[in-house]
Amino acid sequence: MHAVMPDPSPEPSAEPFAGLSRRPSDPQLTLLGGLTAAERLRRWPLPLAGATVAAGFPSPADDYVEGRIDLNEVLIRHPSSTFFLRVSGDSMRDAGILDGDLLVVDRAIEPRAGLVVVAVIEGAFTLKHLHRHRGRWRLEAAHPAYPPLELGDGDDSRIWGVAIHAIHSL
Amino acid sequence: MARLASGREATVLIDGNNFYASCEALMDPALIDRPLVVLSNNDGCIVSRSAAARALGIRMGQPWFQVKDALERRGVLVRSSNYALYADMSQRLMSVLEEWVEELEIYSIDEAFGLLHRPGPASDGSGDLTDWGRRLRRDVQRRLGLPVAVGIAATKVQAKLANRLAKAAGKGMGRGAGEGVFDLGAVADPDPWLEAVPIEDVWGIGRRLARWCRLRGVANARALRDLPSGELRHRCGVVGVRLQQELRGIACLPLERLPAAKRETCVSRSFSRPIDNLPQLREAVATYTCRAAEKLRRQRQRAGALTVFVRSSPFNGTSFYANAATITLPLASHDSAALLAAALPLAERLFNPHKPLQKAGVVLQQLQPETLLQHHLLVPQSPEQERRRRALMAVVDGLNRRYGSGTVQWAACGLHRPWAMRRGQLSRAATTRLADLPTVLALH
Ligand SMILES: [Mg+2]
Repeated sequence: MHAVMPDPSPEPSAEPFAGLSRRPSDPQLTLLGGLTAAERLRRWPLPLAGATVAAGFPSPADDYVEGRIDLNEVLIRHPSSTFFLRVSGDSMRDAGILDGDLLVVDRAIEPRAGLVVVAVIEGAFTLKHLHRHRGRWRLEAAHPAYPPLELGDGDDSRIWGVAIHAIHSL
Repeated sequence: MARLASGREATVLIDGNNFYASCEALMDPALIDRPLVVLSNNDGCIVSRSAAARALGIRMGQPWFQVKDALERRGVLVRSSNYALYADMSQRLMSVLEEWVEELEIYSIDEAFGLLHRPGPASDGSGDLTDWGRRLRRDVQRRLGLPVAVGIAATKVQAKLANRLAKAAGKGMGRGAGEGVFDLGAVADPDPWLEAVPIEDVWGIGRRLARWCRLRGVANARALRDLPSGELRHRCGVVGVRLQQELRGIACLPLERLPAAKRETCVSRSFSRPIDNLPQLREAVATYTCRAAEKLRRQRQRAGALTVFVRSSPFNGTSFYANAATITLPLASHDSAALLAAALPLAERLFNPHKPLQKAGVVLQQLQPETLLQHHLLVPQSPEQERRRRALMAVVDGLNRRYGSGTVQWAACGLHRPWAMRRGQLSRAATTRLADLPTVLALH
C-alpha cells in the first residue's frame, strides 16, 4: 500500500509526547466514544451576527447579518457518512422519489420502520421502504405493481444506508 | 515522561482491512463477498485483496501479467487503483476516528495512531479497552461500511503488534484476538502474544537488523524486548534502544498530531511504456505540472521553485539514467501557464534520445501561502491581469472538479497520451464526482 500512495507519516519529533500537554483530557468523555460523544461535541453552526467595525459609524444592518443559507447544512447532517446516489426507475414514485433524482444517503442513521432505505439486492443498490411485518424486516416499493421482499435473520447488512433527501431538478 | 506514571494512557492503532478492496466493494455492491484484487499504478501488481481473494491464496505484490489468466479463470475480479475514491474514504475514516480518541496521528491512507486514557488500571478488568475497540469498529462499519482492525497497547510499537494480533486469523486464544480488536495491555501475560510475532514483523525493524537478530537467536518480539539493552545500543544506537523501550511499554515515539505545513508537492507517474521522444516527454511533464498546479491552488499556496526529474527503468542495468533540473520562479505562482513555461524547458534539457525514460515527475517547492503576495520589479503584472488569471484558473478548476479531471486542460498536455499509465479497470469516482455517482435502482 505504501508503494502506491505517498506515505504521509511525519518525522518523529525529538520531544517525546510533545503533543500530549496540549489538550486536557477527560477519560469519561473519551470513553463515551463514538456517535454519542460525537453528537455531543458536534459544533452547531453559529449565526454570524455582529460584524465588528473598527472605526466610523456601525451600519444599522450589522445586527442582521446572518450568513447565507448553506444547502450543505440543510441536506447533510453527518458529512463523513453521507453519500450520493442517482435514482433509476419509478418504483418509489408514490414516495415522491422519481427517476433521475439525486439521493442523499446517510449511513449514520439507524434504519427504522417507515424510512426509505438503500438495500443491496442481488448485487445492486435498490431503493425501498423499510417496514416491520410479523417481527421481520420487509422491503416494499412505493408502487402497487411491485411485491414486497422479506429479510431473513442475517440480512441486516443488506441495508446499506438510510435515504434522507431526494433532490429533484425541474 | 512523568505523565506516564499512572500507566493509564493507551496508544491505539486503527488500520483498515484490505482498504482499497473494501472501498471498491462499498461503492459497488456487485463486489461484496467476491474475490477482488486492486492493482498498483500502471496495473502493475496486486496491492489489495478482498477477504475472498486472500482465501484463494492470492499474494500481495504478485505482478498482474503473471497471474492474470489464472485469476480470470477463477472468477477473480480486478480493479485499477482509484485514488479519488480511496482518498475520500480515507478522509472520512480519519474524521470519524477523531471522535473516538483524544489525539490522532494520521499515519498512512488507512492507518492512524490514537491516544486515549484507560478508565481504570490496565492490570485489572476495569481498564480493558476491548469493548471500546469493538464499539469503534462497529461505528466505522456502520457509518463508512469499512472494516478496520484495532490494536491497543501502551506504545506505538506495541500498538502495531496488537493490531497484527487483532487481525490474526483463527487464533481464539484470548479476548478480541483475531476478531479485529486486541488490547495487549489487558492480557494477564503478554509474553506468549509477543512470541507469536516474528521479529521481521516488528514495526521499525529493518531487514538488516532482523537478520542480525535472527543470527543471535532473537526470533520474535518477546526475545527482542528481553535482549540486554547494551547489545542493542552497540549494534544500532539509540534507534534500536528506543524501539526496545517501546516494546517494553515505555513510550519513546510521540504522536504527531498535526502534519507540518506542506513544503512541497509532487506529481510523478510511471509511463505505460518507455518514452523515447521529446514531444511525448513534454506532454507528460505538462500533464504533471498542471496537476501539481491544481493541487497547489486547492491548498491555497504558490510555488517559488520547480523541479522536473526523469529516470529510465531501474531494470535496464548498465544504461540507467536519472536526472533532475530545478528553476527558481521569478514570481511565486500557482498559475498553470506560468508553471508550464518554467517546466517545459527543463524537460527539454533532461531529455536524451538514447535514454528511454520510464518515469518523470514535477516537484513544486518553496511553497508559500497564496495570500503572501510579493511584487517583483522585473515581472510587471498588473492587479487586473492577476485578477483575470485567477478567475481563469478558478473556472478551469471548477470544470475539472465537476466533470472529472482533464475536462479542460492546456494543449501542451496532449490529447491521446500514449504514455499515460494504464488503469484499464478503473472504477468510477463514486463519492467525489457528480457524473460518476452509483445508480440506485427503483425498478422492482
Ligand atoms: Mg491496512
